[in-house]
Amino acid sequence: MTSSPMRVLIVTARPREDSYNHAVSEAVERGFRKAGHDVTTLDLYAIGFVPAMSAAEHAAYDSEQPLIDPMTAAHGELVRQAEVLAFVYPTWWSGPPAMLRGWLERVMVAGVAFTFDEEGKVHPALSNVRRIVGVSTYGAPWTYVKLMQDGGRRMLTRALRMNCGLRTPTTWLGLYSMDTQGDAERRAFLDRVEHSMAHLHQGRR
Amino acid sequence: MTRTLLVHCHPDPASFGAATRDRAVEALRARGDEVRVTDLYAAGFDPVMSAEERDRHLEPGPDPSVAEYAADLQWCEQIVLVYPTWWSGQPAMLKGWIDRVWVRDVAFDLPPESRRIHARLRNVRRIVAITTHGSTKLVNVLEGEVGKRMVTRTLRAVCHPLTRTTWLAMYGMDTATAEQRRAFLDKIGRALR
Repeated sequence: MTSSPMRVLIVTARPREDSYNHAVSEAVERGFRKAGHDVTTLDLYAIGFVPAMSAAEHAAYDSEQPLIDPMTAAHGELVRQAEVLAFVYPTWWSGPPAMLRGWLERVMVAGVAFTFDEEGKVHPALSNVRRIVGVSTYGAPWTYVKLMQDGGRRMLTRALRMNCGLRTPTTWLGLYSMDTQGDAERRAFLDRVEHSMAHLHQGRR
Repeated sequence: MTRTLLVHCHPDPASFGAATRDRAVEALRARGDEVRVTDLYAAGFDPVMSAEERDRHLEPGPDPSVAEYAADLQWCEQIVLVYPTWWSGQPAMLKGWIDRVWVRDVAFDLPPESRRIHARLRNVRRIVAITTHGSTKLVNVLEGEVGKRMVTRTLRAVCHPLTRTTWLAMYGMDTATAEQRRAFLDKIGRALR
């Protein structure tokens, strides 16, 4: 069952425009659009995002205005508006590529993802987010990913989720053993991704 | 003479992280280790794996631009990672070093018909992580300790089968006193003695 339109922010990080992971993010986008959601996609490689937090940014981290780069400031505004955050990336070394890690580090700062109180304690600020979605492709088989405990999934569905509302649900879709999957399996995954995104139950705040 | 590669990651050269690095280097040299230090920010390391590099990621060997980093990795018996924990794991700069340097024929082999990677860093017998967390131990446990798993499982899996891991972490940095910071530096000195 689908619900009223939501503002969806899709963040993708993979180097190649012609990769399978790119097709996955297109399927994610198609699914959301099919359900009538309002979709914005940030393709971090395409826009030349710089993942390493600079010394100046680190110095500004605890200040009133930590978003000193116009690009991260614009992305921070998109995050504040978003009702669904969707991440699409290939898993490398149990986590997202440096590109996506850096995006979280530079954009999910005080005033966007959380606030600092006077004692320096962190309080959640992503109350606008009703659901977190992750879609990843893995070279390793499922059992190996589980043994290594899938740091990327944990980061997004635990650490990031902690900054949302208490009952914010998460959705995770993965294609494992990527390199040995045939065309049929790959196509089936794209269909599954599109279908899931088109039929997401409205999350809670 | 243990061959030790210390990789430091922090944007601010005057950070507490730099102090932890200095204490670690001092302790390692005092006990006679041969230490190579890589400071990723100071070196201007580019953490982004490019499309061209990704194209050949299943080809043997590292990208020529990171060949020296790969040589250090294959040289050492001990890896010491010094970094702040951000979003429960290694900063993008350090993750990029792993993405780009720990590649096929350096960190792992990928035999034909094999569905998983095989350890190649058999030269590495110990991995030490020295890290500071803004949040408390409890919060990190709830978040699933992504950075710790990265060290004790994912990276360890491609090193020697008997590799030991040492986790030296300070929690609650955001609210820590000067005394707690000093105590952590002393802990690093003792652990690497």
